Amino acid sequence: MDTVFIDGLAFAAPLFIMAIGGIYSEKSGVTNLAVEGFQGFGAFIGSLVAVILMPQMGSDNQMVIVVAMLASMIGGAVYSLLHAFLCVRFRANQVISGVVVNILAAALTTFFTSVANQALTGAASNKFVLGVSDQVTVPVLSQIPVLGWFFTDMYPYEWFIAVVAIAAWYLMYKTSFGMRLRACGENPQAVDATGGDVNKTRFISVVISGALCGIGGICYAYSISANFSPSIYMGFGYLAIAAMIFGNWNIPTTAAVCLVFGLARSGGYQLCLSMGLSSNYSDLFLMLPYVLTMILLVFFSGKNHPPKAAGVPYDASDR
Amino acid sequence: MQDDYIIDMRHITKRFPGIVANDDVTLRVKKGEVFALLGENGAGKSTLMSVLFGMYQPDAGKIYLRGEEVKFDSSDDAVAAGIGMVHQHFKLVDNFTVAENIVMGVEPKKRLAGFLPCVDIKEANKRVKDISEQYGLAVNPTDMVGDLAVSQRQRVEILKMLYRNAEILIFDEPTAVLTPKEIEFLLDIIRGLRDQGKTIILITHKIEEIKKVADRCAILCRGKLVDVLDVASTSVQHMANLMVGREVKLETTKGEPHFGKEVLKVDHLTVRNADKFEVVQDVSLSIHEGEIFAVAGVAGNGQGELANTIAGMQDAYKGTVTLDGKDITSETVRNRVEDGVAYIPEDRQGMGVFMNLPLDENLALRRYYKEPFSKGGVLDHAKIREFADDLIERYDIRSGQGGRTITRSMSGGNQQKAIVAREIEQHARLLIFVQPTRGMDMGAIEHIHDQIIAERDRGAAVLLISLELDEVMQLADTIGVIYNGKLLKTAPASTMTSQEVGRYMMGVADND
Repeated sequence: MDTVFIDGLAFAAPLFIMAIGGIYSEKSGVTNLAVEGFQGFGAFIGSLVAVILMPQMGSDNQMVIVVAMLASMIGGAVYSLLHAFLCVRFRANQVISGVVVNILAAALTTFFTSVANQALTGAASNKFVLGVSDQVTVPVLSQIPVLGWFFTDMYPYEWFIAVVAIAAWYLMYKTSFGMRLRACGENPQAVDATGGDVNKTRFISVVISGALCGIGGICYAYSISANFSPSIYMGFGYLAIAAMIFGNWNIPTTAAVCLVFGLARSGGYQLCLSMGLSSNYSDLFLMLPYVLTMILLVFFSGKNHPPKAAGVPYDASDR
Repeated sequence: MQDDYIIDMRHITKRFPGIVANDDVTLRVKKGEVFALLGENGAGKSTLMSVLFGMYQPDAGKIYLRGEEVKFDSSDDAVAAGIGMVHQHFKLVDNFTVAENIVMGVEPKKRLAGFLPCVDIKEANKRVKDISEQYGLAVNPTDMVGDLAVSQRQRVEILKMLYRNAEILIFDEPTAVLTPKEIEFLLDIIRGLRDQGKTIILITHKIEEIKKVADRCAILCRGKLVDVLDVASTSVQHMANLMVGREVKLETTKGEPHFGKEVLKVDHLTVRNADKFEVVQDVSLSIHEGEIFAVAGVAGNGQGELANTIAGMQDAYKGTVTLDGKDITSETVRNRVEDGVAYIPEDRQGMGVFMNLPLDENLALRRYYKEPFSKGGVLDHAKIREFADDLIERYDIRSGQGGRTITRSMSGGNQQKAIVAREIEQHARLLIFVQPTRGMDMGAIEHIHDQIIAERDRGAAVLLISLELDEVMQLADTIGVIYNGKLLKTAPASTMTSQEVGRYMMGVADND
């Protein structure tokens, strides 16, 4: 049971921070299918920085992970400028922009990984081999029943994500910037009428989205595969979008949905092991979150309230 | 004398491609008065106020505010100078509270835990409540805007201006969306604002309201200022003539009705919406040849669904609809049209026309699949154009390129004219008109009313659904008042006064 929860949380946390990224963009009125691309590109930059630093700092040095995480935030943010420019400045179709941004990210990062490997090691490989993040158990706190799970064998990034998530919630619901952001996704004319700048707000929101997705990407690179390769694009970004939708674009609800997805995944894996099935079947069980998505779709589709103005470029002359 | 005028717009000219919206207009408004701006659609009222509000820059002319010349680059500048405007389309966020909507952009702030900046929503609620009480606006700061009625939303917009310390308040057609009772309440608010020293500019084409609330009135016609009048000493007829630029008749004249056979019979009809809520409940009515049956009611009481169900756009849950003795309850829309139903839907742009098709094709929409417009499945565009040109001329439908004009580029009033022309030209047995004159000016309304009466006199049965009580009273032979999906009262029009109808519209049931 402990393992199911601990593994589930390790999967759910990065998913959650990417879903918040999606929420930031969509709440401001920019449809975001580009979560997958943002997280992949962010992870690429973070991993690149890590492989450059590791020879100097030592491959087990946990500081590398901290620096890599910051680098992946910046990487995600910079890459998201592409989506922001296309959707906000050039008023492109936001769905198409999202898809293009994803495809481009996969192509660019695969290419540059090989180029970088060639330059760094002389061998062309499409993988950056990363160290493994330490898992930390907090002495006393981990003994508390149930609550103790949150302090047992934790990757430090899980706590970092919790802090960033709270900050993101605060910014969105308690500050005047957040108020304007949410209004931009519902009725941008209302923001314009009160002297706010709709396009600027949306632009900033998309860039925040990129930074948050970048965190999610590097966490997956470190925790699940311990390397960066094209397999980073295995659909976690889309799963984050699904979590955002089932969470009704609400940060706390989305957290719960991500946890369910995480537990479904780790539970499925443990189930596979306990049934003594060969590892060939584990892939089948790892499908659980996606099957769950399809089932949830049937039940929740009618009850959702997406931001009203999401997907519509703002035109000040539409009165 | 100069100082008496808080607003002084001198020789304002504003041109748009192909049209002079304001032609050398000079307008002076005194501090603390209610000043009305009267004119038909397209007379240039809204443009003039948009110039004052900084949304447009004038091509010529100067604006003085409190005696000093001002130049507004955007409406933000105008707001900073103490001008506020309530637009026709409210600019509110549905999933925000009233207070959040009002303070957005100038929120009261506080520091959480001593350093984290955040919006002080308690303080916002308090300030909004205070202003609401001061001016008798009766809005609750913590209500969700999405749950509010239209009249309440409008008051939120008023509060938004007052919160920003507006001295001059511009109202753009504020009563177009309100019920008679709500209009009275709004006019009271406007009087209250004036009494507390605010200057009010009221854009409208409803002369009655000007009579009730305004001190002075400027009349615009085709971009030019016709006259500025003292309201108390000017007759309604005189104002109407100046506004239209010719003699108008304020009352529609219609002859005695001659009822024939029963055309439409609706029997215990119940309609459910998507949430399984009964929006039309057990409605029965019957309309004869030569009869105009008008359904009066406040918006959202089921009249739209009633019309949709008779026209075949929505399914009946219970009950039957019979046309000339034939049960059409589950007929397709096309079969109903073939049987003689014409329909002008409420949502003209969504259901009435294809916005991206040219006007001539929209005009032929009811018959395009039949000879002579279509032979063996191929459209005959020459015939369609010929038919359209005839309608365009007879119904005075104005557009840039005649029948080839893409419908989207036409004005709303002319789109409506096109739908009315198309439906009347079917010479149907039953005509269902939902708000046929919405958004049209007096001249055009007069024309459409004449058309409706002509159809009645030809022997058609007319079901008229209107939110304008005046229109109901003018045209109806029989009035049915709908409230909460039920037909509360049905009676010959000659036996009811507009006050009585108004009471039923508010849901006051019969005592006898």
